[in-house]
Amino acid sequence: MLTRIMNSAIAQAVVRRLGQVVVVMLGVTFMTFALMNLLPGGAAIALAGPNATQERINQIRLELHLNEPFLVRYWHWLSRAATGNLGNSLSSGQPVSHALASRIPVTVELVILALAVALLLCVPIAILGASRPNGIVDRFATYLSVAGLAMPNFVFGLVLILIFAVRLHWLPALGFVPLSHGIWRNLRTMILPVAALALPLFATFLRVLRADLIDQMYGQDYIVTARSKGLSRRRILTVHALRNSLFSLITLVGLNLGVLMGGTVLIEEIFGVPGVGQAMITAISLQDVTTAEAVVVIIALAVVVTSLLTDLTYAFLDPRVRYGSDSR
Amino acid sequence: MSEGTISAVVGDASEAGPGGTRALLEVSDLRVRFARGDREVQAVKGLSYSLNAGRTLAIIGESGSGKTASARAIMGLLPRTAEASGSVRFEGKEFLGLSDKQMRAHRGPDVAMVFQDPARSLNPTMRVGPQIAEAIRAHDQLSSKQARDRVVELLTRVRLSAPERRFDEYPHQLSGGMRQRVMIAIALACSPKLLIADEATTALDVTTQAQIMNLIRDLKRDLGMAVIMISHDLSLAASYADEIIVMYAGQAVERASTRDLFARVRMPYTEALLDAVPRLDRPPHQELSLVSGRPPDLSVELGGCSFAPRCPAVRDDCRAAAPAFEEHDPGHWWACWHPTGEGT
Repeated sequence: MLTRIMNSAIAQAVVRRLGQVVVVMLGVTFMTFALMNLLPGGAAIALAGPNATQERINQIRLELHLNEPFLVRYWHWLSRAATGNLGNSLSSGQPVSHALASRIPVTVELVILALAVALLLCVPIAILGASRPNGIVDRFATYLSVAGLAMPNFVFGLVLILIFAVRLHWLPALGFVPLSHGIWRNLRTMILPVAALALPLFATFLRVLRADLIDQMYGQDYIVTARSKGLSRRRILTVHALRNSLFSLITLVGLNLGVLMGGTVLIEEIFGVPGVGQAMITAISLQDVTTAEAVVVIIALAVVVTSLLTDLTYAFLDPRVRYGSDSR
Repeated sequence: MSEGTISAVVGDASEAGPGGTRALLEVSDLRVRFARGDREVQAVKGLSYSLNAGRTLAIIGESGSGKTASARAIMGLLPRTAEASGSVRFEGKEFLGLSDKQMRAHRGPDVAMVFQDPARSLNPTMRVGPQIAEAIRAHDQLSSKQARDRVVELLTRVRLSAPERRFDEYPHQLSGGMRQRVMIAIALACSPKLLIADEATTALDVTTQAQIMNLIRDLKRDLGMAVIMISHDLSLAASYADEIIVMYAGQAVERASTRDLFARVRMPYTEALLDAVPRLDRPPHQELSLVSGRPPDLSVELGGCSFAPRCPAVRDDCRAAAPAFEEHDPGHWWACWHPTGEGT
């Protein structure tokens, strides 16, 4: 009985998300196509190079079907993409899926590390801050999160390069060493981009988690019960309040995944990390619609899938959802 | 006043021998102030009483009478915005002024509390068993196996069916009455000498209410606890309490043993509370009398008797000066210039 409720709730969530996937995919791919179409020049001019003749450009246009109307081209792309074929790159002629296959793990590593750093840092600092509201740690944490929210992450990235690469020579400013060359050599190249990407996330998480912890500690009856047992403040905060505050944190992670994915595009370009985001920038400059579309599809899919995962985590963590609820 | 001398003589605590008749709890001139923005609200204005081991005291009053604030002040569980002064002595030891850390050792083994709303008083994300076990392990070094056995024993003691299974259930899987039994099990975890039941049955239906009150009464008898029951319900107090204090606007207005109080109510406010309770010996469909008006604004100091604006027997001198709360008859205190039943 209980498992049936659980299964149907999860099944419903999955079906709802799948419906969203279709709508989201149509929307973002069409927008990308339309925007790329508005760019001056065109793929053929970019591909032919600066000294190409008009005949050469026309020939490329013909080969790539660029003379056909915009909607027809979109329809062609869409009907092929629906079968799983993302087409060939307009710039290299290679299948897009080949070019991106090696880039996906790089971006995944970047995103996971940034998320992990933001979460691992925000939880203890929020706990310390909430244990003494308006104390030294709490005020420092508040300044830090305001600064983190105010500064765009690419600016912060450039500051990091200036300090740690240009001045101190501790870390490389650019470039990437894959995981297969050793975890430490890989991490050395990832530290700065991960830091730049994690800062705004950390700031957002810290702000909300701290506020929620304080709200739990001073507004909830079950905290008074916990105090009446003679428990230490530390235990009340880390066991009772944190458990309940984690729900808002998980919601927040889900909401910020899109921001995080979008952030990788600029950060990869700045730090020379060969992920899908960098491929996106290159594709836009070459007006390579198929590659750009493929990246958009990958990012959109990742956002939808991960937000489904956060929904499921939420359901898994909250016993009221997990067992079917009779209260609230 | 005798309360004043008790709190003044510090040596008194150590001199009283074991097994003596010294009170378990002595509260004198307890005051609780709440900061509300730039205003200050006096929730409790000089409450004094003492309670012996094994006895049940009921503190009765409307919402906002200061009954809950006075009870939470004993355990140091007031919100951050509140400040308590006066004296709360437990077995001779002064509780007010202890740090939260020092107070922790007393919460559980000395004083425990059951709260009004069992739906909100348990952590919704934690299983029931661990919530009771942590109350034990905060004070006793027990292995998790020993703690589990003790929890099951406690759940049996509060007459919860299938205690082994309840251990692993979440609060939302239990009914209101079952949750309140869990709350009582938490309170009993370290065998407290004093149990404070703060409106413990208000959120429950009448049948469950009686079950919970009988449970508290039986546990009190078996374990030799003293009980303070905070309630708005005089008839409930009549069935379970040895002594009753009626509070109004942060002050005690009448105090007597349950028998003396119901034999002869002296304070018009207590009488009004009694009249507001439906009774079977009255003709049906008769309109219940209500205590008209509303409790005074506690941030404003009134000149005369605080109940004067609502009192049916008010006279001119009631508004001029506040009557003192004194022992007019042996064992019967009240604060009224013109007590009821005084030959008029």
